[in-house]
Formats: sequence, structure tokens, C-alpha cells
Amino acid sequence: MARERTGGARPPRRRGMGRRKVCRFCADKTLLIDYKDSRTLGTFLTERGKIIPARITGTCARHQRRLTVAVKHARTVALLPYTSVYP
Amino acid sequence: MADRRYETLVLIHPEQGEAGSKELAARIKTLIEEQGGTVSQVQEWGQRDLAYLIDKQRRAFYVLFEFRATPEALQEIERNLSLMDPVLRFVSVRQDENAPPAPQRPVRRSEHDEGEGGDDSPDEGEVDLVGEREMS
Repeated sequence: MARERTGGARPPRRRGMGRRKVCRFCADKTLLIDYKDSRTLGTFLTERGKIIPARITGTCARHQRRLTVAVKHARTVALLPYTSVYP
Repeated sequence: MADRRYETLVLIHPEQGEAGSKELAARIKTLIEEQGGTVSQVQEWGQRDLAYLIDKQRRAFYVLFEFRATPEALQEIERNLSLMDPVLRFVSVRQDENAPPAPQRPVRRSEHDEGEGGDDSPDEGEVDLVGEREMS
């Protein structure tokens, strides 16, 4: 199923990484977006604490919006960092 | 007046100690009730590491309140919270009416020490590299 990165023979449109990205929250309906769940939210942050764009993670627009709000709530109460490099 | 379901997470100054934070939590609970709210759950998460310094503190007591109240009552509750000196910070979120109540201690603390920044590296490329190195 998952196509390995093919060097030659132009792949149809999508180039580079194979494997279609799916929104984790659509795939798993039981997984809720919760600002208190810093573990799950953390997987959508870079090491620096920035929110990873949906383009990279494959999160759908609706869930990305909710995710963003949740991350911001979590930052307010210091469950997640604004930045890992202290100002 | 339609009341709504809210939850508020409060950060209490570590100087308060275990007992002091419990006392304050009780005070906040009565504060909510005085405003006509009904508290359905109070969760004490204990002392946790902060992701960044607040008020020069590295840790704080986390207490979560689940309750129903009117929007006006919430405003008054928040105003009072902001006046409490031992309260470092709080956040109130409106909850879905049919959302399940917050499970006890949603995040287990012990293993996951909130160190510097992200704990998970999202790119799978790294994993591949490590595998290759081990093979050679």
C-alpha cells in the first residue's frame, strides 16, 4: 500500500514521501482534542514548541483549528511551552 | 437564565503547600457555589512542573473544577480568581454539554517530565537513520 519513495518514473503528482496522510482525529473518533492532554498535543509541536502546520501532519482543517486553540489554552496554563528556548 | 458547562484549571503558587492548596481549592469551590454554580467535580493534580517559569516558579499546584454556571457568574468567578494572590494563572473553557466528564488524572505525570520543549520528534526520517546506523 504505502509507496516507498521512488527516485525515477515520475510518480503521479505527489512526489517524495509515499503514504497518504490522514487526520489523526478523523481516523480515531475516540481521540478528543483536549488542552489538558499535553502528551497528545505535544506530538503536533516542533522541538521548539511551534505548532506544526496541517500540511505536514495531515490534520484536517476543522481539527487543526481546534488543535490550535487547545495548544494555546495549554500554553496559558504552562502545560506546553511557548518556546523551548527561553527568552 | 441558561447555565452552561464550564471547566476551569487553576494554578496555585507552590508556596501554599499541599494543605494550603487544598484549602484554596475549597475556597474556590465555595466561590463558584456562591455565584449560583454547581460544581460537579474538583480534581487535584498535585504539584506539577511548569513548561516555563511563571512568577519565577518552576512548579505549581494544578486544580481542575468542572461546574455549571451562567456566563455572568463565570465572569464574576474569573474576576475573583484574578484577585487571589496565590493563583498564578487559570483558564476557563466552555465544555460541550454531552462531553464526558474529565477522567481522573488525564495525564500521568511521572514518566513524562516536562523538560525543555517537545518530547516527541515528529519526523519519521530520524527513525530510519538510526536503524541504518545500527545495521552497519
